[in-house]
Amino acid sequence: MSGQTVVFVLYFLVVFGIGWLSLRRTRSEADYWIAGGSLGWLTGGATLAATHTSAGTFIGTIGVMHGGGWSFGWVILSIPLAYWFMAAVLAPRFTRVRELTLPAFIGARYYSRSVRALAAAIILIATVVYIQAQIVAGGLIASTVFDIPAKTGMVGFTVILLAYTIVGGMLAVVYTDLLQLVVMVVGVVVAVPLALSHVGGLPEVLTLVQAVNPGTFHWGAFPPALLFTMGLAFMLGSVSSPAQLVRLYAMRDMRTIRRGVLFAIIVITGINLLVFVLSLVSTVLFPSLPTGDLAMPMLAKTVLPPLLGGIMLAAITSAMMSTVDSLLLVAGSALSKDIYQTLFDPYASERTRVWIGRLGIAVVGTVPLLLLLAGVAEGELVQFIVLLFTALMAAGFFAPVVFGVYWARATREGAAAAMIGGVTATFLWEAFGVETIDPVLPGFLTSVSLLVVVSLLTPPPPTSAISPYFGPR
Amino acid sequence: MLDAGFAFWGLFLACGAIVVLYALWMWWVER
Repeated sequence: MSGQTVVFVLYFLVVFGIGWLSLRRTRSEADYWIAGGSLGWLTGGATLAATHTSAGTFIGTIGVMHGGGWSFGWVILSIPLAYWFMAAVLAPRFTRVRELTLPAFIGARYYSRSVRALAAAIILIATVVYIQAQIVAGGLIASTVFDIPAKTGMVGFTVILLAYTIVGGMLAVVYTDLLQLVVMVVGVVVAVPLALSHVGGLPEVLTLVQAVNPGTFHWGAFPPALLFTMGLAFMLGSVSSPAQLVRLYAMRDMRTIRRGVLFAIIVITGINLLVFVLSLVSTVLFPSLPTGDLAMPMLAKTVLPPLLGGIMLAAITSAMMSTVDSLLLVAGSALSKDIYQTLFDPYASERTRVWIGRLGIAVVGTVPLLLLLAGVAEGELVQFIVLLFTALMAAGFFAPVVFGVYWARATREGAAAAMIGGVTATFLWEAFGVETIDPVLPGFLTSVSLLVVVSLLTPPPPTSAISPYFGPR
Repeated sequence: MLDAGFAFWGLFLACGAIVVLYALWMWWVER
C-alpha cells in the first residue's frame, strides 16, 4: 500500500508543477483557452488521445466487455474513422478562423449571440452530467487505493483537477495530458503481460474465458443494431465533441493536425485493444462482480505487484483526469465566455476575462461534486453515461458544425432548431425509445432534418457570416 | 460461432489496417 501511495503523491506533485509552469507561460486569453494556437503534432495528438481516453475506456469498456463479451470491441473501429473525418473533411474549413470556443464558432457562423449562448447551455448541462460520471469513477479508484470512503475520494479528485486547470488553463491541460497519456500507456503495456501470465498465457485465457462465459466470442451478446448505432454514436460524437474541436484551434496548422490525429488514433486504438485483453483476463479471474465497473480496480489490486498496481491505478486516474480537465475547460469557457460575457459583459478587459474564465471553471467543477454528495445520479455504469454524453454532442453539434462549413445556406434558425431538436430527441429516445438502438440515431436524424428544413424556410445568411468559410482561400 | 482466435486477432488486424489506411491518406494529401 505504501508503494501505491508514493506513486500517487509523486504523480500529483508533478501535475501541480506543470500547472504552475503553465501559469507563467499564459499571457493572453488565447493562451489560456487554446494554448495560443501553438501546439505541435506530439502535444496536440497526445491531448486529443488523452482527452478521448477516459474512465469510459479503463472502467467502462472493460466493465461492459466483462459482462457482454468481445463483440463490443468492434465499436472502436469507428474511432479512427471519426478522426479521419475530423482531419480530412472538417478541419480544413473549420480552422479557417481561429476562435477560442466551439460556441464562439457557432455564434460567428450563425450570426447570433443567442444561438451561441444556446450552444453553450447545451455543453454546460451535458458536461456536468459527464463530469459527474468521471468523478464517481475517481472516487471508486481513490477508495480502492487509499482505503478511504468513496465520497472523500471524489472530493480529493475534484479539488486536484480544479487546482491545476484553473491555474494553468489549456497549457496546463495539454502538458498534464501528455504526462497522463504516458502513464496510461505504461500502465496497460506493463499490465497486459503480467495479467496474461497470471492466468498462464493468451491461449489459456482464450480457452478459460469461454469456459466461464461461453458467449464471449459470440455476436449475440450485443444486438448488431445496438453495436452499429453505438459505433455511430462514438463516430459522430468524437467529431462533434467541443473539447476535441477546440484542440483543432489549439494546433499550429493543417499539417500538424493531420500528424497529431495519426498519433492520436494509433495511441487510442492501441490502448483500447490492450484494455480489451485485460477485460478477458478479468472475466476469467472474477467471473461474478457486483458491477463490471469494478473489474479494472480489482485487477490492479490483486493481479499486479503493489508498485505496478499503483502505476495501473495512476493510469486509470490519468485517463479520467485528462478527460475531465479538458471538459472543465470547455464548460468553464461556455459559462464565462459564451454565456456571461457574450450576453452581459462584452467589454471587459482581457485580464478580467481570463479571471472570469477561472471562476467559471470553479463553478462547473463544484456543481457536479455537490450533486453527487447530495446523492443525485449515482450507480449508473460509467460507459453508458459516456455513451449518452457522446450521443448528446453528436445530436447537438454535428449538423450545425459540419453543415456550417459545407452548406452556405444553413441559417441561424436552422442551427437553433437542429440543436434543440437533436438534444430533445436524444433524451426522449433514452427515456422511452427502443433499447436496442442507441439514442444517437434518432437524435442525429432529427437534428440534420431540422437544420435542412428550417434553413430552407428562413432567409439566407448574410455574406459576412459565411464568407470566411466558403470560397477559395 | 466464431473461432475465438479469429475474432480476437481479427480485431487487432482490422485496427492495424485502418491506421495504415490513414497514414496512406496523409501521404497522398501531402505528396
